[in-house]
Amino acid sequence: MSIMAAPQIPNLNSLRNLRGAGRGRGWGTGGFSGPSSEEDKIVHDRIVQQTDQDASVSRLSAVEVGYLNDPFAKYFVRGEGQRRYPIINRGTYVRTQAIDNLVDQFLSHEPSQKKQIISLGAGSDTRFFRLMSAHPRANGIGYERPNLMYHEIDFPANTIEKIDSIKKLSEFVRHVEPPLRLSHSSGRGGLDNEDTIDADNYHVHPIDLRTLDPSRPPPRSFEHIEKDLPTLIMSECCLCYLAPAAADAVALYFTQHFFPSTTPLGFILYEPMKPNDSFGKVMVSNLAIRGIVLQTLQKYGSLEAQAARMRAYGFKGSGGADVNELWNKGVDEKEKERVAGLEMVDEVEEWELLAGHYCVAWGWRGEGWDGWQHVTRQFSDK
Amino acid sequence: MSDLDKAISELRACKIIPEPQVREICHKARELLIEEANVVQVDAPVTICGDIHGQFHDLMELFRVGGDIPDTNYLFMGDFVDRGFYSLESFLLLLCLKVRYPDRITLIRGNHESRQITTVYGFYDECLRKYGSANVWRYCCDVFDYLALGAIVLGTSSTLEPSFMDHSQAIEPVDNDVEIEIMNSRNEVTARFPRSRRRLFESEALNSSQPGTPSKIGPSGTGATSDAGGSLQSGGGAVLCVHGGLSPLIDSVDKIRLLDRKQEVPHEGAMCDLLWSDPDEIDGWGLSPRGAGFLFGSDIVKRFNHLNDLSLIARAHQLVMEGFKEMFDSSIVTVWSAPNYCYRCGNVAAILELGEDTSQGGVISRSNGDAGRSLQLLPSNGIPRSGPGRRYRVFDAAPQDPRGMPAKKPVADYFL
Repeated sequence: MSIMAAPQIPNLNSLRNLRGAGRGRGWGTGGFSGPSSEEDKIVHDRIVQQTDQDASVSRLSAVEVGYLNDPFAKYFVRGEGQRRYPIINRGTYVRTQAIDNLVDQFLSHEPSQKKQIISLGAGSDTRFFRLMSAHPRANGIGYERPNLMYHEIDFPANTIEKIDSIKKLSEFVRHVEPPLRLSHSSGRGGLDNEDTIDADNYHVHPIDLRTLDPSRPPPRSFEHIEKDLPTLIMSECCLCYLAPAAADAVALYFTQHFFPSTTPLGFILYEPMKPNDSFGKVMVSNLAIRGIVLQTLQKYGSLEAQAARMRAYGFKGSGGADVNELWNKGVDEKEKERVAGLEMVDEVEEWELLAGHYCVAWGWRGEGWDGWQHVTRQFSDK
Repeated sequence: MSDLDKAISELRACKIIPEPQVREICHKARELLIEEANVVQVDAPVTICGDIHGQFHDLMELFRVGGDIPDTNYLFMGDFVDRGFYSLESFLLLLCLKVRYPDRITLIRGNHESRQITTVYGFYDECLRKYGSANVWRYCCDVFDYLALGAIVLGTSSTLEPSFMDHSQAIEPVDNDVEIEIMNSRNEVTARFPRSRRRLFESEALNSSQPGTPSKIGPSGTGATSDAGGSLQSGGGAVLCVHGGLSPLIDSVDKIRLLDRKQEVPHEGAMCDLLWSDPDEIDGWGLSPRGAGFLFGSDIVKRFNHLNDLSLIARAHQLVMEGFKEMFDSSIVTVWSAPNYCYRCGNVAAILELGEDTSQGGVISRSNGDAGRSLQLLPSNGIPRSGPGRRYRVFDAAPQDPRGMPAKKPVADYFL
């Protein structure tokens, strides 16, 4: 059964004291102010970390039905996968496809120019490996590796497991340059730097984003982030779990503090929206019962609010669309037909409801974003 | 207490019953259903319900709001199973009630009453989980194959009787001019729409023909209840109930009667369309985004109703946030009876009550959808028949778990 109580869902009884606490619990309402107790903080962090498994299971489900081509998805699902309902598979597909499209537009602008991607709360995302294994050549013949430096930042609890998987499988290590040594050690220890990957094209930073502080020196591993490269920063359901001020602080850390204002920057957010209609209210309350609080949802609950957010982060251009539009306008007819043929979707009204509550928003500054401007126009024609 | 009554009381408590008993009940139900026509004839008064989808506690709420069986005569338009967590308990309870009170409950087939769909949308897994084998799923699927494809409600009234639960209150007669009444789950009237104002309810203005106008519909008196058709045409007309909608292969109710229904729902064809199609704001027929059935427009519904002497088509199949939705000048209505669908959608649910026409001493005029039979009664000016008096009872999801055990609360999927 898919939607049933999944094994990764925490013991609800331990969370009962959270019910009704609503927004503002957890990491506090403002900035980095702490939660009410250390124990609460750990519980909340665990729950947010576990949302990554939820996403991994959904990704594998979409892959197995044929929505997505991702040979890496299966390695990051712990335990047995679950088949998701068709609308969840379709949603996973649309989100992935939409972000892939923005990434491709970014990379295909002067492809020889080296670029950089920073994935916030990357968890077990497979995008780096997909990019390295299947990037089509500009001339359309064959594939080439993009000239790319890829960074993933996440809680150490998430990166440790990911790194462990990556270092054990040749499917992964050969995509990293220079290829990583395959680790045969079953336990930890033996190799240097077990907790990070610092290769030429791939870096995994085990960092709690909330600890980034402009008044302190950056974490040591950030020396691998090149400050002058055109850089794309993305958050797929990551910043939304932080208190609004903390989420803004993370974004501003990169856009205003870490990168010089001359560096071309792009930003992609994938987040839920519309918390105040009946579907949104049920979503907020259902997730609260699982201990998940979408803390930025009230502040950034619409495409307009996301556009204003991008401006506040210093981006000159911005765009966005909900998942309904991304499906309707962003997927070409032939591909739609292929996807619609994968599963019978007897949930059309439900799909529109669900898809109307998630959006991809993007913003950019500097040069090199012609592709994004094009995509923005595609979705702003009402 | 008979075994059957015992099973009913177990199921009402949301407990499953032993496998051999399921087998027996399915067998008995099949014997009953096999005798039913593809289009079952049901006499008003009747309460029409849409999708249930295994939301057992909400089904109990439905019975609380609409009255219990056998006191209330029910017609369920399919999709008993899948999605919710208690498809087994919900379907088996309805089936037991069917065996116990065959004349008080009618079950017709939805597109989820199918082997293929139940393996994707949860019922199969639920059977496996609750019984450890697929036997019960098989028994149920065998019953599915015998469910009727539709029903036709006769003897409806064009007016509304006071709500049956009004006994405690002073009975206030409903104005005869009221065509639509909406009540909440506390038996309070939240809105009334008189016939003369039915346009308020229309999704868009008619372009070809005008709906019944006040001048044509005199005030409905007791013995002289009349609408556009004059006194010959007493009552609220015949109502066709089907899970999905119409089919381009079906132009008369008789054609439904000719189908060979005792089979798995096919991927295409008339039987498939009846269970899968949706009305839509288009002209004629269109492709369905569901991958089965068709979309059909206002012109199709009006022609079908006219040719078959129907005043209304009642169908389910589509989630509507308000629980019900009338379309095309009230020639078709969607009734949705699964509140907060999938524990996620935040919608309310509704049931539709059609009263009995007592104006002719209980004699039902047989405008029962046989093509042509009552054609001479149709108004020649193309005015659609005025519909029966309709009372919608709107209700919310049952409290998740009366005992307050959050572990019982199902987890709905989101993108995280």
